[in-house]
Amino acid sequence: MTTTITKTVTRICLPLVILFSISLLLAGHNNPGGGFIGGVMFASVIALTYVVYGLDHIKSFFDPDWGNWFGFGLLLASFTAFAAIPFGHNFFRSAVEFLHLPFFGEIELVSAGLFDIGVYFVVIGSLLFIFKSVGDDR
Amino acid sequence: MDSFTAITLAVFLPFVLAGILPMVGKVLKNRIGWYASAVAFLSLMLVAWVAPAVIHGEDIHGSISWLPSVGIDLSFYGDGLSIMFGFIVSGIGLIIMSYSNGYMSTREDLPRYYQQLLFFMGSMLGMVFSANLIQLFIFWELTSITSFLLIGYWRNRPLSVYGATKSLLVTATGGLFMLAGFLVLQSMTGTFDIPAILQNESMIAVIKGHELFILALLLILIGATSKSAQGPFYIWLPNAMEAPTPVSAFLHSATMVKAGIYLVARMHPIFSGTDAWFILVSGVGIITMLAAGFLAFRQTDIKGILAYSTISQLAYLMTMYGYTTHQHPGIGVAAASFHLLNHASFKACLFLVAGIVAHETATRDITKMGGLRKEMPVTFILAVIAALSMAGIPPLSGFLSKEMFYEASLEMGQALGGSFTYMIPALAVLGGVLTFAYSIKLIDGIFLGKRPAHGLPEHIHDPGWVMILPTALLALLIVLFGLVPSIPSHYIVGPTAGSILSETADLHIELWHGFTPSLMMTIVTFVLGILTYTRYESIAAWQNRFNSRHPMISVNYFYDAAVDNAKNITSGFSSRMQPGTVKTYVTALLLLLLVLFIIPVIQISTDVIPAGLNFDIPPYEAILFTFMIIAALGAALLPRYIPAVISLSGLGYLVSLLFIYLSAPDLALTQVLVETLSTIIFLLAIVKIPQRFRERMSTSVLTKDILISSAVALTVFILMINATQGIVSPFESLSHYFIENSLPLAGGHNIVNVIIVDFRGYDTLGEISVLCLAAFGVYNLIHSRGEGE
Repeated sequence: MTTTITKTVTRICLPLVILFSISLLLAGHNNPGGGFIGGVMFASVIALTYVVYGLDHIKSFFDPDWGNWFGFGLLLASFTAFAAIPFGHNFFRSAVEFLHLPFFGEIELVSAGLFDIGVYFVVIGSLLFIFKSVGDDR
Repeated sequence: MDSFTAITLAVFLPFVLAGILPMVGKVLKNRIGWYASAVAFLSLMLVAWVAPAVIHGEDIHGSISWLPSVGIDLSFYGDGLSIMFGFIVSGIGLIIMSYSNGYMSTREDLPRYYQQLLFFMGSMLGMVFSANLIQLFIFWELTSITSFLLIGYWRNRPLSVYGATKSLLVTATGGLFMLAGFLVLQSMTGTFDIPAILQNESMIAVIKGHELFILALLLILIGATSKSAQGPFYIWLPNAMEAPTPVSAFLHSATMVKAGIYLVARMHPIFSGTDAWFILVSGVGIITMLAAGFLAFRQTDIKGILAYSTISQLAYLMTMYGYTTHQHPGIGVAAASFHLLNHASFKACLFLVAGIVAHETATRDITKMGGLRKEMPVTFILAVIAALSMAGIPPLSGFLSKEMFYEASLEMGQALGGSFTYMIPALAVLGGVLTFAYSIKLIDGIFLGKRPAHGLPEHIHDPGWVMILPTALLALLIVLFGLVPSIPSHYIVGPTAGSILSETADLHIELWHGFTPSLMMTIVTFVLGILTYTRYESIAAWQNRFNSRHPMISVNYFYDAAVDNAKNITSGFSSRMQPGTVKTYVTALLLLLLVLFIIPVIQISTDVIPAGLNFDIPPYEAILFTFMIIAALGAALLPRYIPAVISLSGLGYLVSLLFIYLSAPDLALTQVLVETLSTIIFLLAIVKIPQRFRERMSTSVLTKDILISSAVALTVFILMINATQGIVSPFESLSHYFIENSLPLAGGHNIVNVIIVDFRGYDTLGEISVLCLAAFGVYNLIHSRGEGE
């Protein structure tokens, strides 16, 4: 699979796909997308890079601990679930706020969006954690 | 800040601050123990903040809605009893964590140690302040789990692991019995709220007359006795001594083992005043008190003696709380509450002394010690104060509460009349005699006599102030409570007894109260105690002989046999249930699916295939379906892995095309991505397995496989037909609710996403937790291959 064509395509795709995955994540509340899809997209492009360039080669300069990613995601998601309690609401109560900014127009802030970001990190982290464990195995 | 907030903070701050402890540990390094001490101090201050109101007779009760539909709330209740326990838990916690700074070597994994201690402290505080039975149960089991972790702190010592497992098996099983008891109690009263039951006299009368009364009492008492190591459940506590000594002082003498006593005291207003309460609670208490006091003689490990003495002292408390008659439901309540406080102080102090001695001499074997008074004068004085308090020597606090124990025993004996008039006080004195003997043994064996010629390090000295100061603080309390008993009786014991008896207890504890019968009993105790001590060694030798001749007469023998049998049975069962071939699991799953799908379809509609089906398939879809069938056949029939996998993922992409055609962009996107990722993982794995996978299958296996897959396919087909165009559903579809409320309630246009992150957010949280667990599972599977069998 490590032909010049796949290498070049992967190199071009990598930043585009990552940007697209972030846009999927942020657009999720009103348009197709969301944390899960965005996360899987991010994970697949990293996985593709691992396959095309070789896990050992990528690890020599880019080797995050994916375990930390899903740990952070789970923490963030639980935090948003608990955050309503000190304000006297039920567990998992979400809040919506509309914000008017110059240039950007109306921006919607949803606490569920924070939860979605948690999901995003959990999906990326756990998929790549599994992927790396399988790939590292000799 | 109101009192309810203070209690909530006192319970949850240890959890939160323990959560960030590893991060703080990176900054503070070896001084992390002082951070943990500060957290304990904070909890102590919060409890102290609440205390004045409670002492003045005001009860604190507040709740946060949790599961209101089933009557479970996060609610806290502060009365005299919980405040006393709150003080003991956070105060001893502070002392233990400060002491640990000197005791624990800096080579140990300190963050893990202090984190678990703080988790324990939070759970224990949560338990004693719980106003809800289910919440009490949750915190109760949390203390069992943290105790398990702390006993097994030295993970590579087999004895630690054995002790940890034993304590978890015994206390957690007991906890389940207790939960069953709570459910029975709820079925009688209709509520889980503890104060609602306690403050409602007609409800208590209903419980006492109910036919399930005995069942509820028995189940709850099994929980209490297993936690407090009473009766046959005592076996876990001696093995729990494998924990670091500060942990033993904190959990296994002062606080966690008193959880059972707390439960007995908490349930006292509900169940006491009945014959069953006296027979069960006092009966178990008296037997355990005598048996454990007697068994302590055989121990040569200092902590072993202390463990059996703890069991025996807890049995005192059980006995006292069990003293009850119809007229006076709480004869021994004040005595028990005072002794509880005293036991927490002198026993924790003795454990800390044992820790100091073991730390300096590098042994815990009392037969190798002696004559240490010259080398460790300060430790010697502290040990004498604590041990004499346990033996009941005036003017120390233990003397006062033991006098009260004798008084209560006399009163109980008189109330019962007949031969009990003398029997109950006599048994109480016997318990006191045994206590006296082993208390003297501790001092004599370690500090008095001659220093053995060899076996001890050459230079032994008192430890630094970090270990001396917390121990001395406890010794100071022992002396103070003995000399000025009005302080504990007015501020702590009075309110505690008052809250159990639901009346203001008029309590006068005085050091000198004339030549009463109980003083006579104390003098008899001392005389007999000294006589017993002269025969100490021969009693111990007799016990050893008996034990080696009759190994079967021991609870531990039956425990070990039961655990061995359970291990054999489960390993046989799991090797049959999990042969390791994926096909077996998939077959089982599919057959279950078949059953679960068929039953509702048959129940809802009589025609399995509804009449008047619409089989109009648009040409575009028809083309798509043709390709899908080809791809599916390819995946099943192609002889090599890579073509088969490619064919399978081709099928997946075709399905996502279908989703687009049916205008479900979210689903299509997800399908494409998941398909891509699984294909990549497949291809990675394929490199490592043999390329030809069509080993010859016998016709019967092939027929069976084809039958199962066709049956499953047919079921799914019928199900889909029924779901899309068959019968009218008996339920109203949920989708209308989501379509109408997605924007106004959650502010989102994408209904699928809103359902995932908002309406069904709880599910999603569960799912992503499972995803993390699956990641760990894969990691462990890959990294544990080749280890063990």
